[in-house]
Amino acid sequence: MRLDNPYFTRRKFLNSLLGGWLGAVAASFISPIVKFVWPPYKEPDEVKLVFADYSGMQPGEVKNFVWGVKPGLLKRAQDGSFIAMVGVCTHLDCNVQWMPDKKQFFCACHDGWYDENGTNIAGPPPKPLRRLETSVEGEDLFVRKPGVGATT
Amino acid sequence: MKINMKKFADWFDDRLALTPIFKYMTHKEVPQHEHSIWYYTGSSILLFLFIQIITGIMLALYYQPTLEGATSSIERIMTELPLGWLVRSVHSWTATFMIAFVMIHLLAIWFTKSYRKPREATWMTGMMLLVVSMMFGFTGYLLPWDDLSLAATKVGTNIPAAIPVVGKWVTQFLRGGDDVTGDTLTRFFIFHVCLMPLIIFAVLAVHILLVQKEGMSVPLKDELAKKKVPSLPFWPNFVLREVVIWLLLFGILLTISLAFAPSLGPTADLMAPAPEGVKPEWYFLFLFQTLKIFPANMGPVTGEFVAVLIIVITVVIIFFLPFIDNKPETKKGKVFTYLGVIGVVYAIVFSIWSLL
Amino acid sequence: MRKTRILFCLVTASLVLGPFAAAAPQAGTSQDKAQIEAAVSGQNPPAQEAKPAPLPPAAKKPAAKKAEVKRTEPIVPAYSGIKERMAVIVFFFWLWFAIAVLIYFLRLWIKEADRVYWAKYYEPEESPRKDNPMAPVLGD
Repeated sequence: MRLDNPYFTRRKFLNSLLGGWLGAVAASFISPIVKFVWPPYKEPDEVKLVFADYSGMQPGEVKNFVWGVKPGLLKRAQDGSFIAMVGVCTHLDCNVQWMPDKKQFFCACHDGWYDENGTNIAGPPPKPLRRLETSVEGEDLFVRKPGVGATT
Repeated sequence: MKINMKKFADWFDDRLALTPIFKYMTHKEVPQHEHSIWYYTGSSILLFLFIQIITGIMLALYYQPTLEGATSSIERIMTELPLGWLVRSVHSWTATFMIAFVMIHLLAIWFTKSYRKPREATWMTGMMLLVVSMMFGFTGYLLPWDDLSLAATKVGTNIPAAIPVVGKWVTQFLRGGDDVTGDTLTRFFIFHVCLMPLIIFAVLAVHILLVQKEGMSVPLKDELAKKKVPSLPFWPNFVLREVVIWLLLFGILLTISLAFAPSLGPTADLMAPAPEGVKPEWYFLFLFQTLKIFPANMGPVTGEFVAVLIIVITVVIIFFLPFIDNKPETKKGKVFTYLGVIGVVYAIVFSIWSLL
Repeated sequence: MRKTRILFCLVTASLVLGPFAAAAPQAGTSQDKAQIEAAVSGQNPPAQEAKPAPLPPAAKKPAAKKAEVKRTEPIVPAYSGIKERMAVIVFFFWLWFAIAVLIYFLRLWIKEADRVYWAKYYEPEESPRKDNPMAPVLGD
């Protein structure tokens, strides 16, 4: 049916058709570009270490391991089990170091201190060092994200 | 709350006074005649340049321009990153399309003699753009650092050495030393990503400004007959037609990129002998063959020197073509049209010959 | 009019969601089209070996050799599964369908723009309707 004085003109209709379509097509092309530009690197779910390297650790000793692209800290507790933490300061992502004489972890960027179990005790860090789960299976020492079961 | 766009535009206008420019653009008219189709070639080149910038930036986010990292970073782009192979494929094919359209654009201007007065400067900036586009292609070709591109670059950077006096310096400038090394790769990357884009933007700005200022040219016979050619407004009529062409070209480009994604050859080895079938990109093939047909020694100079000399002289003549063909309506003008045909035939024949 | 609107919404929705549906099988695989045909045995596995801490009593494992990855085989893009091949084919058809729809709309718009131009809508003085007091003015 034809209105005598339409408010919605043919021009406006064509404009909205074309504009809507172009918008839809552009949006669907943006998605792959976004997927490409935002980096896909994730942290690993688990890391396999050779147990022989760490079996000789004394209680209270701390060694490093590689967790993806970050340093990991492996500490032997007094009862012989392992505690694994991500050696990255929870303040602004600097790497922490173990001070064996003080038995504390120190972050040099802003003077952050963690005790031997990773709890933040002084300085700006808001949270303790992130914990990871360990398990010894045969010759391998697995370090996993908490909640990730065995994948092998 | 409705934002009043007019107030927004007025704010800018009070400070920048851009309205005269927009008014001028809305009055731009595009003549309609039997050769109007060639008007679309210029904006197609702009489309391809835009695509190259986008895909180039995306690739450059992950590419490492060092001897050790180059080929493995491209490997990573092709295998690990989502749709990385497609980004690389689009970048590679758009380079081909862009240079092909630059050549079509040049031929269209040549045969319609649009370089005649008052458009001489437009032609000369256009020639500069042609050289810069081919330099883009040449520098980009080395970046994957695989065996074929290394060999092609060794040959390509050796050619300026045939020029007396300055040739050796030019080669050393291109290579970052006497030989092609990791330094050459990094240098070519900076040329490709920083130096050439700056140059092309500057020259392109002048080229486009000149085109707007002089308006679109009409065929020679219409101009001589002082006939008023019917025309279309640039905005929105011609622009809408251009968008149709852009969509079609984009579709063809994506289809070919999906179907014929380029592969990556073995890592370049500076010590290994040149691999079989070394050849440059297709737009250099005819020059490559021209170099090959000259004998090694011609009297007191090398054949290579003579070939380079001939090529340089030809390029200079073409650069100054508007001043040489200054009476296009006369018989001399016809000579140049035929020379153009001969040039096209020569380029095609020699390109095919080099592949045999 | 109503039917066209419904059809329009349906087609838009399918065309916007289409590429996401096509991309979904790809999103699952971490490896895309190209496959490494090279023997990568020369390359060290991603660093999962212990790196000894710089502490005095630590037993040092020989440092991981910095392997020179000299790839001798070309990498040729290939599909890693039927899903990827189907995704590419679906995308191809979606692309051309979207372009066809866009060009259809553009043709309508071009015809409209040409019609307006030839009717001299923007230059009312030159229009054949200049003597008609009922003719609409610009800025409807």
